Amino acid sequence: MALAAPILVEARRFPVGLLLVAAPMLLLVVFVLVPAASAIVSTLTDPRSGGPSLANYRTLLGDPLSRGNLFFTLGSTLAVCGLLLAVCLPVALYLRFSSGRLPAFVQSVAVFPLFVPGIIVAYALIRFLGPNGSLQTVLDAIGIHGFRSPYLTPAGTVIGLVWEGIPLTLLILLSGLAQIPNAAIEAARDVGAGRLAILTGIILPLIANSVTVAFSLAFLGAFGAFTIPYLMGPASPEMMGVFMQRTFSELRDPAQAQTQAVMSFLFCAAVGVIYVRSVIRSRRRGS
Amino acid sequence: MSKLVIDRLSKRFSGTVAVADVSVAVGDGELLCLLGPSGCGKSTVLRMVAGFENPSEGRVLIDGEDVVALPPERRPTGMVFQSHALWSHMTVAQNIAFGLRLRGLARAEVKARVGSVLELVGLAGYEARYPAQLSGGQQQRVAIARCVVLEPKILLMDEPFSALDAHLRVRLREEVRAIQQRLGLTTMFVTHDQDEALTLADRIVVMRSGAVEQVGTPGEIYAAPATRFVASFIGTMNLIETEASGGSAGLAGARVGGDLPDGPLTIAVRPEDIALGEPGWTGRIERVLDLGAFRMLDVALDGGPTVKVQAAKGVPLRAGETVPLRPLGLVAYGGDGRARRASIEFGNLTNVVSIHG
Repeated sequence: MALAAPILVEARRFPVGLLLVAAPMLLLVVFVLVPAASAIVSTLTDPRSGGPSLANYRTLLGDPLSRGNLFFTLGSTLAVCGLLLAVCLPVALYLRFSSGRLPAFVQSVAVFPLFVPGIIVAYALIRFLGPNGSLQTVLDAIGIHGFRSPYLTPAGTVIGLVWEGIPLTLLILLSGLAQIPNAAIEAARDVGAGRLAILTGIILPLIANSVTVAFSLAFLGAFGAFTIPYLMGPASPEMMGVFMQRTFSELRDPAQAQTQAVMSFLFCAAVGVIYVRSVIRSRRRGS
Repeated sequence: MSKLVIDRLSKRFSGTVAVADVSVAVGDGELLCLLGPSGCGKSTVLRMVAGFENPSEGRVLIDGEDVVALPPERRPTGMVFQSHALWSHMTVAQNIAFGLRLRGLARAEVKARVGSVLELVGLAGYEARYPAQLSGGQQQRVAIARCVVLEPKILLMDEPFSALDAHLRVRLREEVRAIQQRLGLTTMFVTHDQDEALTLADRIVVMRSGAVEQVGTPGEIYAAPATRFVASFIGTMNLIETEASGGSAGLAGARVGGDLPDGPLTIAVRPEDIALGEPGWTGRIERVLDLGAFRMLDVALDGGPTVKVQAAKGVPLRAGETVPLRPLGLVAYGGDGRARRASIEFGNLTNVVSIHG
């Protein structure tokens, strides 16, 4: 009887748990999975015969403009991810291993963009970096002329996306660094490790999972970004988000827009696989 | 074989004194325990020796050389941490080899030394395991191996067994003692566990509020605690409060005399230093606790407090019985907490009881 009682309690709880997750699961199926599956199926269907076909993908990959946009998006996204890690990792290391008022101030400044909507960020950057913006005015005032604004260039998109991505990347790296006990660093110093050896031999491997998560989320955010590339990027080549929207609403070609979406999804899913494999690997060795 | 000297070491953290003027020397191959309650400054002393804290004042000399200005990575010390502090992304062999690789040793030598130290700590065959695949005791052995493989002049251990269960702690401390003696390592060991200190150490430094209360061998510290704090901290002790006046004090019908200042007085008697059946006090047994190897009695003294008395297993004793008893040794502590020469008299019987002079 003593053993049976908890089992009965579990049995009674089970339907309650199912009921609790049923509503969000239903929403997920109806509003995400069904439209996504329907879009994937429609990209694999010949619009005339209704039979299976890869024609949409042949069109996408055969069109130099579409292909260029895809590679431009991929290149810009990788640049954003690289820059985000290059900017955020030193800041995160400083914040993790420092104490006092200055690190607290630096952290609040670094996280500030999290609370600013993307469109405001874009306009603020245009006012700062654009032609005759604040930066050019200051440079002119100190005698540096010939500033070429990154506004409406690929660099504009990258700068905007990096600015927007800093808070999330920094917070993820900080949470990873917070998992490293001080004793692990002290043990490394104790066996003779200097700063570089501690960084490369201890800290970076221990936060590899956080770096992968930060990279994945930065990649997903940048690959599908719309506002910043739309307002700060060049007219051509375009990021996939802008290209999809224009294909759908201006070119009125929903089949190609869907194909572009599925292609974007495949790139993002590949990054997702890297992330999942990294998580599984780290769990296996218990780190 | 090396010698460590801590000379007038002090540490203040934003006005709070954590360590106050601590001086102690650890001889070649000696195992010295820093013992004290949490927050007494013992770990801070150890961390200053390792280089993780900078002393506010004082020197740390290893073989005569002041190492205070050296960073931890350049000190000839090795530290075993309370939390093991193994690197979870490295295997056992990689954890141990990390320090050797930093010293630029050839791969074959690294492998040989890792193998030999794993043999020493009883973990041969565990090279490819990750720390998460080891038990707490095995992890601590790896941490010890990681230290020992670098052949430090001074081994520092910061409560290395506190995260382990009682049985494992006992076994591991015996193993650590054996390794330390085999390698002749000069060792400073921090613990708040008095049993650990008494069984492991060549000498013990008892600390309280950042200062040293007493330095001595385990036997000296146990038999003759220099202060009331040490008496209360080490082992089981009956601490009986009384008042001295004119060089003597009354205690349950007996008279304690000696070098006693007027004012509050504490008489400390260990339960095993009270002989049952000897004329002196009379008391009523209130409780008998069978602790396996011996029995512990609570005896209410006539006209006095209740004291703990250790009795042999075979003696037939029951709660409610009245028994004669007499202290065979005691220490008296004045209001300043320092030990005083004292003796006790029961009517015309004079006992010999002074331990401290």
